[in-house]
Amino acid sequence: MSRERNRNYRQRVDEALASPRLQQALHSFGDAYVVARQNAFAGLDFEAMRSEIGSMKDRVREQRHELVAEFTRNAEAAGAKVFLARTADEANRYIAELAAAQGVKKVVKSKSMASEETHLNRTLEASGIETLETDLGEWIIQLAGQRPSHMVMPAIHMFRDEVATLFSKVTGQPEADDIPHLVKVAREQLRQGYFEAEMGISGANMAIAETGGIALITNEGNARLATTLPKVHVALVGLEKLVPTLEDATKVMRILPRNATGQLLTSYVTWIRGAVPCGEDDKELHIILLDNGRSALAESPQCRDALRCIKCGACANVCPVYQTVGGHVFGHIYISAIGVILTAFFHGLENAADLVKACIGCRACVAVCPSDIDLEGIILHLREVLGEEEGVGAGKALVFKHIMRNRKLFHSMIRAASLLQKPVTRGERSIRHLPLFFSSLTEWRTLPAIADKPLRDSWKSLPQKVQSPRYRVAFFAGCLNDFVYPEMGNDLVKVLNRLDVEVLFPKEQNCCGVPALYSGDRETAVALAEQNITAMLADQPDFVVTTCPTCTMSLQRDFIELLKDNPVWAEKARQLAEITIDVSRFIVDKLDGKTVFAEDPVGEKVTYHDSCHLKRGAGVWEQPRTLLAGSGREVVEMAHSDRCCGFGGSYSFTSHPDIAKHILNDKVKDIEATGASCVAMDCPGCIMQIRGGLEKQEKPVRAKHTIELLAESLK
Amino acid sequence: MLKQFIEALGKVGGQAAEVATVREAAAYIAGHVTGTLLLPSQPSLERVALAVELETAGVKVIKESWREHAASANAGVTGVNFALADTGTVVLDSTVEAVRLATTLPELHFALLDPGKILVDSLAAIPYLRGFHERAPRNYLAYITGPSRTADIERVLTIGVHGPRQLHVLLLPGLSTDYYEL
Repeated sequence: MSRERNRNYRQRVDEALASPRLQQALHSFGDAYVVARQNAFAGLDFEAMRSEIGSMKDRVREQRHELVAEFTRNAEAAGAKVFLARTADEANRYIAELAAAQGVKKVVKSKSMASEETHLNRTLEASGIETLETDLGEWIIQLAGQRPSHMVMPAIHMFRDEVATLFSKVTGQPEADDIPHLVKVAREQLRQGYFEAEMGISGANMAIAETGGIALITNEGNARLATTLPKVHVALVGLEKLVPTLEDATKVMRILPRNATGQLLTSYVTWIRGAVPCGEDDKELHIILLDNGRSALAESPQCRDALRCIKCGACANVCPVYQTVGGHVFGHIYISAIGVILTAFFHGLENAADLVKACIGCRACVAVCPSDIDLEGIILHLREVLGEEEGVGAGKALVFKHIMRNRKLFHSMIRAASLLQKPVTRGERSIRHLPLFFSSLTEWRTLPAIADKPLRDSWKSLPQKVQSPRYRVAFFAGCLNDFVYPEMGNDLVKVLNRLDVEVLFPKEQNCCGVPALYSGDRETAVALAEQNITAMLADQPDFVVTTCPTCTMSLQRDFIELLKDNPVWAEKARQLAEITIDVSRFIVDKLDGKTVFAEDPVGEKVTYHDSCHLKRGAGVWEQPRTLLAGSGREVVEMAHSDRCCGFGGSYSFTSHPDIAKHILNDKVKDIEATGASCVAMDCPGCIMQIRGGLEKQEKPVRAKHTIELLAESLK
Repeated sequence: MLKQFIEALGKVGGQAAEVATVREAAAYIAGHVTGTLLLPSQPSLERVALAVELETAGVKVIKESWREHAASANAGVTGVNFALADTGTVVLDSTVEAVRLATTLPELHFALLDPGKILVDSLAAIPYLRGFHERAPRNYLAYITGPSRTADIERVLTIGVHGPRQLHVLLLPGLSTDYYEL
């Protein structure tokens, strides 16, 4: 790993975290976005729409050579020139040479992320050509000498006073920091440029093979001017923008503005085919289809779904990391989740290395992606690739390869740690302060102590009273439940026994492998998957029940993926996935178990935190609420209930504790605002994080797993 | 459908006005224009002699050399091929350059629409979109939904950036039944 690169990155993280104004702006934008988006999709079936876009884009990838040929044929028949640029450099050179040949001195540009990707302005300016960005946001960042921090709103990180300062320099007089005034200044200042420029450069949202035309989806009207007034029009278009037909293009047009900004449609959708009239003559239209890594992306089975992206920017809008540090940290040229992936292919893995680790894995982006891309899944894969290329770090490698894979060694080391921690825990369940260089770990949250006796060691002494069990289930505890919160296991047994379910604890179960997998050590993850499959299926249980949704995802999703090419293990992985279920869903869906819980006499006010992997991984969010309300509690919703708590496993310990802390603080504020005396959740990781934050900040709110609250309510 | 169109147009900051005659349309326009007005040649507007009515109403109308006058014009007037009810969109075949000039540069855009030419949504418009492409080898087609807008500074919605600040759709029955005619 390049130390220099990492140092620069860390510095940018620190600067962003020290800018509360930016965070506040991105948070309130995120809130407004969710509402606007919801309204924009009212009466429409988002899931159906995005699955159509996804499969259409897959067809485009498969038939890309034919579609490029069809597009080129039709565009050229309409008088356009089409150039297929393999690299950014080829695209830039083509445009620079064209400009030189035409005697172009000034270029007006409308917004084009592809031209940001190729650093076109640099090339043109090096050739002595003045380039003028005419999109308001792009012009602002051009004046500021920066790059976009959002794909749709490039200057979202800037404020009116900063814009006023920039504009004052242009006009040579002080400009008021009043937004309508600043917009007017931009209109007036840029106006002359369209008439003077000999060339207009645009991007495109779609390139339609059927017609050989392009379409631009815009709001400001500058793209219409830039494609009308100058004699030459150059459209720089990423190959992934190809769509087969006008039907497909219309479908993209219907979903893109709704998902990008919550608009039903942008002010302008402009369909341009061929060399249209320009003054007394015809326009000269050049369309550059840009590859620059897209073919390589198309060839990667694990990553190629990223080519479905229609560049709406929604993955940034909902991302807790983006909202905390902005696009200049969580992005290279393309930002946020999709940016991580595109950067790896368009700008090299080196530039994506830090970003790949900055994703907290909450899957908020996956839920809103209009092209149905499993962004988190692809980022995980890139983390594996990076682990192979750069190593996962010597310490981690040692732990994963030589300790975790050897279950007995791993577990005896945890037991030893439980003794070693005595001096700091002083027998308490929470660690409030750690000495010396570990002190930063408990600066913003308490940490739980490792239990004196893990669940596995006390299991035999747990009385199970089930006469004729309805089901025999195996409990997959996961490391936290087993070694840190064994009491959750006791509660699970109590509740399930009461519902006539016998619970087994297969002793050979090991860590689910997520820490290794998420750190990029696939080999260890495979070894752990095999160990766990053997352990959990050994007693032929009816179900495998979990209390940790990350473990659930691992058993349900990751094991299948990890072992899919192994004929011995693939079928077993599928079997395990089929019977794995988290405990709240098990109680509601399989046991209809609401009846055994007594009405809570006080009617405690409880708010519910949706864990990322439970809601967006397993699709479970109603069941725990049903159970909590069914046991007589008053369930009050917090704002952003399904926003990540900032735990993310090693994310909050080693990789990005500084960002995790900010995300946790948001969560604590939302919990506190409900006035609830208890926050329930179904994830021991979230409990570690949220309880740690509440304790550290001395908030009178208890953080509990739903199963613990249910155990309190048994009749 | 007309009601839905008017409502949707209002939501995006456009204004709809129902007029009974071309004279009423001209009077409406005259009431808003403060400078010159670009009027590209368009079959439907020529048929109803809009230019004459506008001039009678005292508007200075540019009927040729549009490019020369575009930068200083205060308004542009066009017909509308057809509209989309669900989004309040007007669709204009803008292949003729003067139509583009009249709808991009001036502060005001007046669009005359026959209320009989409203489709339910953009999916219903696809056959016509394809029809435009089949009828002419080169095309510049515009879906216009409200005035130009931006939220690029602090995400504050501001109407009227580089394009028109106002979009007035004048609903004039009997103007045209042809979806391919502007």
